[in-house]
Amino acid sequence: MTARALRAIVGARLRVERRSLAFACASAAIVGFVQPHGVAAITDPLTSDVATRSVWLAGPMFFCSTIGIAIALSQGPGRHAFLDTSERSAPLFGRELARAKALTPVLSATLATFVYWAAQYLSGFAAPPTFFILALACVIASSLVALNATVRTGLARLMALGLAAATIAVAYILAVYADAYSTKSGDAVGVATELIVCGIIAFVALRQYGESLARYDPL
Amino acid sequence: MDSSTPAAKAPPMHILRMRDAEYVRAGEAIVSPTNLDLAPGERMTRLCTSSREAEALAMMAAALARATAGSVTIGEYDPRVQPVHCKRIAAFVPHDPLPLTQIDAARYIAYRAALWDVDPSLARRRARELHQQLDGLHEAFAYPIVAALVPSPQLLVLDRPQAAFIPQIIGAAAECAVLIVQTEGRA
Repeated sequence: MTARALRAIVGARLRVERRSLAFACASAAIVGFVQPHGVAAITDPLTSDVATRSVWLAGPMFFCSTIGIAIALSQGPGRHAFLDTSERSAPLFGRELARAKALTPVLSATLATFVYWAAQYLSGFAAPPTFFILALACVIASSLVALNATVRTGLARLMALGLAAATIAVAYILAVYADAYSTKSGDAVGVATELIVCGIIAFVALRQYGESLARYDPL
Repeated sequence: MDSSTPAAKAPPMHILRMRDAEYVRAGEAIVSPTNLDLAPGERMTRLCTSSREAEALAMMAAALARATAGSVTIGEYDPRVQPVHCKRIAAFVPHDPLPLTQIDAARYIAYRAALWDVDPSLARRRARELHQQLDGLHEAFAYPIVAALVPSPQLLVLDRPQAAFIPQIIGAAAECAVLIVQTEGRA
């Protein structure tokens, strides 16, 4: 697959989804501003750290992942039939098409996550960049898992969506609690665990999506 | 004969060949066993009893859908094994018009040219020439045909095209074989 073909697919899909993208960013900005960031007064610094993480990460992880899943589902067949037909009839392998099609929800969800983080920052709750990376990993992984639902029907589709929801939950738990009460390594264990798990999930989900696209029957 | 010189590869006898090709979905035979031979440059119209059958047959002929039984060969390739090679040979024109409210014609041609890795300036020039040959056909129907012909396919598969414009379409696709799939009563 040429870089030109990749750009063409991503560009065409982003163009037809521009309203959804604008809506996603606007809602991320609003929720980022209004999300409560208050944490109850806790004297124990380790418990306070966990409480802070749990409150500050909940918004971007759950909200932006939901946006990512919604945008991923909108890539399904039927919504933009002319793009689907063109891409399917092009001489591209399933894995190549999967990578190109996956970039659209990934880029959209990344932008929405960045807008959310920027809104948190501007509202005075300066979330550290690590929180942005943690949230982004969760958003990308869950969006890629949700993409698999677009090429399935019935129970398999529900299962794919369930897996996307489970990905968010697992990523959140790892990000908040993986290194809870650890004084030696700081945040490194929690951050690394969440990033590795999300990376593995994203890789497997993308491969699976490529396989599904290669076998996909448009009829 | 010098054994080191590779023998010139003979062109395939048929650009599209179907042998008892069948498409079954949920126990229902949408396309009953079909036999079809299309030589390079040949034109053929195939009549189907329903639009579902026409769509399925056209998609099988363009390697977009796989036959559930029997065999389909496009050029020398089996779409079940080498779909990408088949898609370099066959171009598919869907029944539905291009939604010009979502994408304008120039952008659509550029997009399709990028997917087939056709030089943008060559694609524009070729699209202009082809569009002139399809004069009278509404842009929403003309541009999918133009876009399909820009990469110079060897086989053009048309899913239920507008019957009145078939001579013009065939004229524009002078260099390739054409399979027109129509429903009975529309041909």
